Amino acid sequence: MDEARLTAWLRDATGDAALVIEGAALLSGGAIQQNWALDVSGGRAWVLRTDNAATLAVSHGRAQEYALLRAAFAAGVTVPEPLYLCEDASVLGAPFFVMRRVAGTAAGHRVVRSDTLAGGRDACVRALGHELARIHAITPPRADLAFLGSPPADPCRAFIADQRAALDRQRHPRPVLEWGLRHLERTVPPPVPPVLVHNDFRTGNIMLDEAGVTAVLDWEFALWSDPHADLGWLCAKCWRFGNDAQEAGGIGPRAALYDGYGAVDDARVRWWELAAHIRWASIAVDQAERHVSGVERNLELALTGHMVPGLEWEILRMVEARDAA
Amino acid sequence: MLREEPGAADLLATARDVLLNDLLPALPAEKAFAARMVANAMAIAAREAAQDTARDAAALARMGGDPRAFAAAIRAGAHDPGTPGHAAAATLLDDITRARCAVSTPRAIARR
Repeated sequence: MDEARLTAWLRDATGDAALVIEGAALLSGGAIQQNWALDVSGGRAWVLRTDNAATLAVSHGRAQEYALLRAAFAAGVTVPEPLYLCEDASVLGAPFFVMRRVAGTAAGHRVVRSDTLAGGRDACVRALGHELARIHAITPPRADLAFLGSPPADPCRAFIADQRAALDRQRHPRPVLEWGLRHLERTVPPPVPPVLVHNDFRTGNIMLDEAGVTAVLDWEFALWSDPHADLGWLCAKCWRFGNDAQEAGGIGPRAALYDGYGAVDDARVRWWELAAHIRWASIAVDQAERHVSGVERNLELALTGHMVPGLEWEILRMVEARDAA
Repeated sequence: MLREEPGAADLLATARDVLLNDLLPALPAEKAFAARMVANAMAIAAREAAQDTARDAAALARMGGDPRAFAAAIRAGAHDPGTPGHAAAATLLDDITRARCAVSTPRAIARR
């Protein structure tokens, strides 16, 4: 990272001609983005977020993510306050934005083991329900979120169509994912008015401290959809990090999540839990493909591909149980 | 036999034991995740090397030799509940997936 160029840009953006970067450290981040912890003169603790060379085509760019963060912040969602956006790739090699740094733990395996984080299991998932309700209060049309496209008339059917299109782009047919999608189609619930859906609201993407939620992270997959999609993604067994008994993200009881959220149609959430397994399996296929194709040779991506059979097994069991019910 | 023993599965399993028992405890904590990923990759590769390849051919035959057509038929509803082929398709998917899990993630099927 070119600190001189970044300093010059930040001085311009903040109007603080004496601004100095006192520290910059690469944080452990996702495979898609780079996150830098910036310590800036005047006790300012920031995070700079930018892209890695190879990015998933389905995720939004930094400028869009910045707009989503601003919308969420304004709606009272607990997110790091977005501060400055730089769309000029010549400064750091890719667009970036700066947000306030918040403290906490997000790592899934640690979060699901803790009985005390965010006030305990019950309080934590209740708070997650509140966060989701605030996100879902953001509704179309929104000029600032125009990049999300026009909202679908039927979010559930739109999901099925999107997933089938994703499968059609992949190299190998996936009969089990087709089996799951066909079940979803056979059992599709009636349309609901779409709202802003975070679309990756799960354990691992939510930062917590002992008192509560400190940040809802990773907004790059957001879209207009059925609000129950977020509840289903959070509750899906594949995102409980092994702590299956706590149905809300491996963290706490499903009932407390629903209670914190407000009105929940449980049957819709269950539909989206099957959908979550299918979508995660398809994403895992795409991640492994980045390794296999040589776009990004990486052991973690390679191993992600080997999660697909386990997800398929779960999909078969879910379909079997739902068909028998 | 053209190949010298021990074969791939044995070598991978033996090397994995060295990695986990001798090397991992000596590694700094921030390298443990990478070492565990290497161990996981070796375990998957060892199970794949030991797998009976005739089973793949048999599964393919049960799909009429064309997985793409089988997938398309499922999408079109040709194997929905209530159709004559539903039970056979469900069993086939179970069998294929169980075999895939046996290589990639045996714990997924062991839980049942």
